[in-house]
Amino acid sequence: MSTILKIENLQAQVGDKAILKGINLEVKAGEIHAIMGPNGSGKSTLSSVLAGRDEYEVTNGSATYLGKDLFELDPEERAWEGLFMAFQYPVEIPGVSNINFLRTALAEKANYFKKEPLSAKEFLQTVKEKSALVELNDKLKNRSVNVGFSGGEKKRNEIFQMAMLEPTLSILDETDSGLDIDALRIVANGVNTLKTENNATIVITHYQRLLDYIIPDFVHVLFDGRIIKTGGKELALELEEKGYDWLTKEAVAN
Amino acid sequence: MSTILKEKKFDLAVSTLNDEISKSALAEISNLEFPTRRTENWRYVKLGKLLKQDLKTDNVADLDISDFLIPELNTHVIVLVNGHYNETLSSSTPSAGLLIDRLENQKDTDLFTSHYNTLSEKHSEEIFTSINTAYNQDGVFIHIDKNKHIEKPIFIININTSSNLITNTRNLIVIDKGAKASIIQGYYTTSEKGNFNNSLTEVFVKQNANLSIDKIQDIDATDKHICTEEIHQEKDSNFKINTFILNGELIRNNVNISVDGTNCHSEMNGLFIGRDSQFIDNHTRVDHLKSHCISSELYKGILKDKSTGVFNGKVIVHQDAQVIEAYQQNNNVILSDSATMNTKPELEIFADDVKCSHGATTGQFDEEAIFYLQARGISKVRAKEMLIGAFSEDVLAKINNQNVRNFIESRI
Ligand SMILES: Nc1ncnc2c1ncn2[C@@H]1O[C@H](COP(=O)(O)OP(=O)(O)O)[C@@H](O)[C@H]1O
Ligand SMILES: [Mg+2]
Repeated sequence: MSTILKIENLQAQVGDKAILKGINLEVKAGEIHAIMGPNGSGKSTLSSVLAGRDEYEVTNGSATYLGKDLFELDPEERAWEGLFMAFQYPVEIPGVSNINFLRTALAEKANYFKKEPLSAKEFLQTVKEKSALVELNDKLKNRSVNVGFSGGEKKRNEIFQMAMLEPTLSILDETDSGLDIDALRIVANGVNTLKTENNATIVITHYQRLLDYIIPDFVHVLFDGRIIKTGGKELALELEEKGYDWLTKEAVAN
Repeated sequence: MSTILKEKKFDLAVSTLNDEISKSALAEISNLEFPTRRTENWRYVKLGKLLKQDLKTDNVADLDISDFLIPELNTHVIVLVNGHYNETLSSSTPSAGLLIDRLENQKDTDLFTSHYNTLSEKHSEEIFTSINTAYNQDGVFIHIDKNKHIEKPIFIININTSSNLITNTRNLIVIDKGAKASIIQGYYTTSEKGNFNNSLTEVFVKQNANLSIDKIQDIDATDKHICTEEIHQEKDSNFKINTFILNGELIRNNVNISVDGTNCHSEMNGLFIGRDSQFIDNHTRVDHLKSHCISSELYKGILKDKSTGVFNGKVIVHQDAQVIEAYQQNNNVILSDSATMNTKPELEIFADDVKCSHGATTGQFDEEAIFYLQARGISKVRAKEMLIGAFSEDVLAKINNQNVRNFIESRI
C-alpha cells in the first residue's frame, strides 16, 4: 500500500507553549486511523497543523504528504491536493452562502489542475447526490455557511463538504461530539460510503462510540503531545472500559 | 493669477445666479477661517496640501463618455466636464413633467428664486458652502412636476479632464408633490491629477414625493472632493441617499437632511473602501423637526493600507418632534495595522417620545473564517474578497436598481 502521510518527530507550539512534542505517524492508502486521548492532549492542534493553521508554529520534525513536504504548501494548496479536515468547531460565515462557497472551492480546485469546472447543472446534480448522503436539509445549502445550523447540522455539513471535495486524506476532528445516535449513524455512514482503497481517514475522537460505526485499522492514544500507545481496534474497547488513567500514569512515570 | 484657498486669493468668477446672495457669501467668506484640525467639524481632515495648491479653472472640447456609463443601464444623461454643463454630451429623452436644464438658464424663474440657497444659507458658516455659493460656475437644475413618476434614472456625470482644477458645481433639485425620481451622481476623473471638486446640491422633496440618489465617487487617487447635499423633506415624503466611495485622495461628504414634515422616511447609506493613504470622511446630519418620522443610516467601511476613515452621524430630534425612530449603524473592517477609523455618533434629543439606536464596530476579518475558506480550497485573496462581499451585502441591498448594484459590486 502506498503511503499517503508520514509524520516524523513533529513538534509544534503556540506562542511559546509547546503542544506537540514529537509525533510519529504513518498513514497508508485504504487505512482508517483513530486518534484518541483526553481533552487538551493536542488532538485538535495536530489536525490544525496538518491543515495549515498558521497560529501554530512547527518547531521540529516533518510531514510528508503524497511525497510532498506538507509544510511548504498553503492551506488552500493542501486542500487542492486532497487534504480535508472536518473542523471540531465549524466556523459560521455570515453573508457567504454555503452553495456559493462550495462552487468557488470546487472551481479553484479545478483551476489548480487546469481542468474545466463543473457546469452549473453538473454542480447542482452533485450537490443533490452528496447532500442526500448525509441527509442534509435542502434549505441549509442556500444559507450562509453554518449560520443558524444546529450542532448536528454543522457536523453533517462538514461531511457534505468532504463528499463534494472527494479528499485523499480526511481528518475528522471530533465529528462525533454533540451528535445524537441517529446523527452519529448518518455521519458514520457518510464517511464509510466515501471510503475507498485509495484514500485514508484519520478519525479523532474522545469516545469509543464512533468507532462502533467507523471501524479503525489502528488506534493511537495521544497524550501531552505524544502518541503514547498504538494498537488495533480492540485498544478502543479497552480504553472504554478502563479509561485513560492507566496509560497516562504510565506515560507520566516514564 | 491662480486660486490659492488659504490666502483666499480666488481668481474665480463670482456666481451670477443671484447677485445679492453671491455678495453676502463673499462677505461671509472674508470673515471665515479655513478649518484646521482643531475645528471640531473638520477634525482628522488634512486640508494642508489642498490649501497650498495652485488651482485653476478650465473648459473642454470633446470627450468620450462611454467609459463612465453603467453597463446595461438606460438613463437620462447629464454631463458636466470640468464643472461645465456640456449640452452636446448630455442626452435626455423628453418626458412629461421632467425638466432638466442648466441652473443658469432658470435663474429668473419663481421655482429658482423660491428655492435657491434657502437650505445652504443655514450652513453658510461652513467655508466650502459659502465658497460654492459665491463662486459656483455652473450646474444642473432638475424639476419633476407634481405627481409625475420618472421611471428612467437621471445620471449626472461629473468628469474632470484637466489637472489642478477647482470646480464649484451647484445643483438644484425639486421633486414636486407626489412626484418620484431616482438620480445617480457620478464623480470621475480621466487620467489627470490634483483636482479639487467642491460640489453642492440642494434637494427639495415635497409632500408625498419620493427621491433616491446613488452617489458614486470614483475620482483620481490624487483628487480631492468635498461634496455636500442639503435636503429638505416635506410631509409624507421618502428620501434615500446611498454613497459609494471607490477612489480619491480626500473625500468629504456632508449629507444634511431637514425632515420638516410628519410621516417621512429618510435613509442614508454608504460603503467606502480606503486604500493607500486615502482619507474618507462621511458626515451626516438629520434634523427631525416634525413628529412620526423614521430615519435610518447604515455606513460600512473597509480600510486597507494607510487609509483613514471618519464617520460622524448627528441626529437632532427637536422638541416638537415626537414619536421619532432614528437608527444609525456604522461598521468597519480594518485590513492593515496602519489604517485607522474614527467614528462618532452624536444624538441630541429634545423630545420625549423617541426611539433611537446607534451602534459602531471596528474590527478585523475573522481569521478563523478566512482559514476555514482556505481549508476548503479557496485562496486567501479570494477568501478575503468573499468576506468583503459578505460585509458589503446589506449596503448593496439598499440600491434599488439592479444594474447600478451590479456595477458597484464589480468595482469593490
Ligand atoms: N490557540 C491556542 N492558544 C493557546 N493554547 C492553545 C491553543 N490551542 C490549543 N492550546 C492548548 O494546547 C493544548 C492542546 O489543545 P488541543 O489541541 O485543542 O487538544 P485536544 O483537541 O486534544 O482537546 C491545550 O492545553 C490547549 O489549551
Ligand atoms: Mg480538540
